[in-house]
Amino acid sequence: MEQRRFKATSLVLYGFTGLWSLMVLIPIAYMIMAAFKTKRSMFIDPIGWPDALNWESFERAWGVGVGGFMINSVLVTFLSVVVIVIFSGMAAYALTRMPGRSGQIIYLLIVAGFAIPVQAVLVPVFQIMSGAGFLNSRLALVLPYAAYGIPFTVILFYAFFLDFPRELEEAARLDGCTRFQTFLRVILPLSGPAIASAAIFQSVFIWNEFILALLILTKPAFKTLPVGILELQGEFTSDWPAVMAGLTLATLPLLLIFVLAQKYFVRSLAGLGK
Amino acid sequence: MSQTSRPRSRSGNLAAEKLTYAAMLTPALLLLAVFVFIPVALVIYGSLFDFGLTSRDWTFVGLGNYVEAFGDDVFWIALRNNLIIVIGSIVLQVGFGTLLAAVLDRGVRLGRTLMRTIIFAPMVISSVAVGLIWLIILDPNVGPLNAVVKGVGLTPPKLGWLGDPSISIWVVLGIAAWQYTGFMMVLILAGLQAVPKDIYQAAALDGATGLRAFWYITLPSIRNILIVAILITTVGGFKVFDLIFVTTGGGPANSTQVLGTYIYLQAFNIGEMGFANAISVVLLLIAVGLGWLQLKTSRKA
Amino acid sequence: MKVLGTACVVSLAALAIGMPAVAADKATVKFWTLKNPGMAEFAAEAIEAFKEKRPDIEVVYEDFPNEAYKTAIQVALNGSEPPDAFYNWVGEDSARLVREGLVMDVSEYGTEPDGFQSILSDGWLSTLQYDGKQYGVPLEAVSKFFYYNTNFFAEHELKVPDSFDGLLQSCRDIRAIDEDIVPMPLGNSERWKLNHFITMLNERVVGHEAANPDYALEADDATLFTNPRYVEALQKVLDLQEAGCFQDAPNATSPELTRTMFATEASPMIYCGSWCAGIFNGEGFEDFKMFRMPEVKGGDGADGTNFLIVQGYQISAKSKYPEETVAWLSHLVSPEMAVRYAETMGRVPSNPASLDSSDQLTESFKWIAKDVSEITVPINVLDVKLENTVSEAYLDGGVELLNGTLTPEQVMEKVRETALKAKAKLDK
Repeated sequence: MEQRRFKATSLVLYGFTGLWSLMVLIPIAYMIMAAFKTKRSMFIDPIGWPDALNWESFERAWGVGVGGFMINSVLVTFLSVVVIVIFSGMAAYALTRMPGRSGQIIYLLIVAGFAIPVQAVLVPVFQIMSGAGFLNSRLALVLPYAAYGIPFTVILFYAFFLDFPRELEEAARLDGCTRFQTFLRVILPLSGPAIASAAIFQSVFIWNEFILALLILTKPAFKTLPVGILELQGEFTSDWPAVMAGLTLATLPLLLIFVLAQKYFVRSLAGLGK
Repeated sequence: MSQTSRPRSRSGNLAAEKLTYAAMLTPALLLLAVFVFIPVALVIYGSLFDFGLTSRDWTFVGLGNYVEAFGDDVFWIALRNNLIIVIGSIVLQVGFGTLLAAVLDRGVRLGRTLMRTIIFAPMVISSVAVGLIWLIILDPNVGPLNAVVKGVGLTPPKLGWLGDPSISIWVVLGIAAWQYTGFMMVLILAGLQAVPKDIYQAAALDGATGLRAFWYITLPSIRNILIVAILITTVGGFKVFDLIFVTTGGGPANSTQVLGTYIYLQAFNIGEMGFANAISVVLLLIAVGLGWLQLKTSRKA
Repeated sequence: MKVLGTACVVSLAALAIGMPAVAADKATVKFWTLKNPGMAEFAAEAIEAFKEKRPDIEVVYEDFPNEAYKTAIQVALNGSEPPDAFYNWVGEDSARLVREGLVMDVSEYGTEPDGFQSILSDGWLSTLQYDGKQYGVPLEAVSKFFYYNTNFFAEHELKVPDSFDGLLQSCRDIRAIDEDIVPMPLGNSERWKLNHFITMLNERVVGHEAANPDYALEADDATLFTNPRYVEALQKVLDLQEAGCFQDAPNATSPELTRTMFATEASPMIYCGSWCAGIFNGEGFEDFKMFRMPEVKGGDGADGTNFLIVQGYQISAKSKYPEETVAWLSHLVSPEMAVRYAETMGRVPSNPASLDSSDQLTESFKWIAKDVSEITVPINVLDVKLENTVSEAYLDGGVELLNGTLTPEQVMEKVRETALKAKAKLDK
């Protein structure tokens, strides 16, 4: 009896997660499958298997410059995340250690910056970048991305640093370290999980960002992936296999990286819930 | 450190320390000032004028843009849609994310890593790509979903999944859940794995297993991470833009308009910058409210 | 720690690399255009040819998809580094930029023998003249037709419709042949497709002489958009829908897809721009002919009118190189490039002088070029011509009409309401 109930429960649980996995998998699998279809078969028989492994669509999509878009996205994301982590780390540490109320007031100010959507301030941000002559440079994306990533990251770090054991810091201070040195030599090396989760969050946000990238980087050589793949649609009009091939090319490398690194990924997020 | 020099160096230290704090704060505050606070001030200022993106003359209208916004049907539709997406996403993404995480944490063993990987996967695909994939899948003429639905003998919506104003916002909500539930799941899973396993054993002795254990032990022990998850989802729900921009563009006839896309439409397609700024300010107020809420909950925690 | 330290150095170096390159001694002309199929290739060829003429000028080509272009151009014109020359639709869009002082008056430029003012006819030049001054270089004309599959029509002995009722009958006939064939698919997901239908239905039913005061918001408040014929025109859309002309979900169908439906011979008809002929040819389909939006019996439209939008390039008021920019645009409309434009893109250039010399032009192109030259009164499309909010009301009204969520009367009420508001604002 017990045994059977256990089996039934586990069947339900497997069914639930399995079904959800399938729901996630099918569209991705369809994207890859459709990339191999011909334009005509896509049109006449949307759910049929491709007649043959047809690589032409991939060639067409690659010709648009998906590789370049990807490099730009990786660069911009990496630079922004580095800036965000360093700036937020310093700020959050200072805020948690500052005596008096000023720290809290500044924290409140930074928190207010969290949740402000870019499209609400699109035009002034653009005008500032434009006025400074920063259009069409990666810097023009990295700086605003960093600015919009800082509030959330400060919130993450703030909680982490508050709980940080003071004894270690005191020891470093007694050894003659200044505040900044303590931060560099003691706090940062021990903040691996917080840094990792902050980096993951920001990478996800920045990797996806679309609207600023669309307006600021107009030179084809600088375009990031989201902007680049939207252009696939314009480029190929209704050549869906080519669009799907472009999306596959843009997506698979990251999926692979994630599959390989996901163990560390989950582990580094574990620090968040404390 | 010698006894005699101590008091002096201490006050010197304090001053130096203050300077250090200031120096550590400066880069972040500078970036925030240039890209967040100054633009916000400009948006608030601009919301008091009537002007277009390219116009030379700004006409002062006071709170006229706000009055216009509050009297505008589409503004309320957009706000309602944002709320639908926020609440719907909390239910779908955080709700199912929690369930999936709990099952993957303790319910199943075989294939756990595989399923976790699959469910998270859409997160590394950019929203624009997600939008394009679904646009093709949901196409009313040659999309595979219609083919499948017809194949099993049902009738797909006549106006199209994204073309029928009575369902399109729910379809978009579903696409968002497809993309983000895995993210919530992994976030919560990480929290669950930090819960010491002996708690469950102790609880099992008291007769709390299965659902009861989930309710009385799992949920309370991941309270903080759930708050983080709900907050991220809420903020994301108010900020949503790319997915709608790519799939429906706010249509059909504004039925999937959200504040983000409506701001964009007013500012860039219609050219009513002042009006767009007024809506931006509403969104900003919501944002600040959420920030305040975040602060309150994190203090308690 | 070391990792972070290195990252800092790397990031600074990369930021430095990312900075915009300082322009060399060459004059740089930044050229923005719409990402039309084949445009990038045509531009590359034109730039190559231009280098020989003017080695002192470097043309930088950048293009955008349709939806993104309007945003990008407005934002950029407001910034410090706008493009020197940019594509625009001639109508409210071009006029507004002139009013707002963002576009340069180039009356003084391009007057030399190979300059655009000498090359193009006065009629063409006048499309971009405001207050007697020249505010841009017209590039091409775009019209719109019903395309029909000649094989299909011959095989089923269908008559090419010569009236609106005949058009409805064609749809019914095609459905009678095979219920699953969509006679003329409508891809309205971006809303402009039906707007083009309505533009011409308004012309055929209301007539431009009656409609223009409403379009320009110059009619009295009491009569603004009250002409009952507007409702009749919208009713014609419903008639088309009832006759089974369209597929089920036009508002969720992209215009690109409907073109593929026609090019793959899945659908025997389509209402499509003059640019579509080139696209169909590019997809390997050539067995089609065209006819204009037919007359509506009892309608107030004038004879010989048809859809005509002029598209061209304007020059930013902030351009540092107006002479060079105009030289480049003059090159684009020169006899050599105009004929290449027609050959490679299948579009009707503003300079028709050398078209006869080409042997590469398709029959369909020649037909279009001739038909466009015979238009008595050009009818500009609503979403280019109307004030933005009114245009928006018409666009959304079309969507709701197709979805059945608003009746023609209700759509016109909304349009009128929006127009009254817009007019009140203008009068202020």
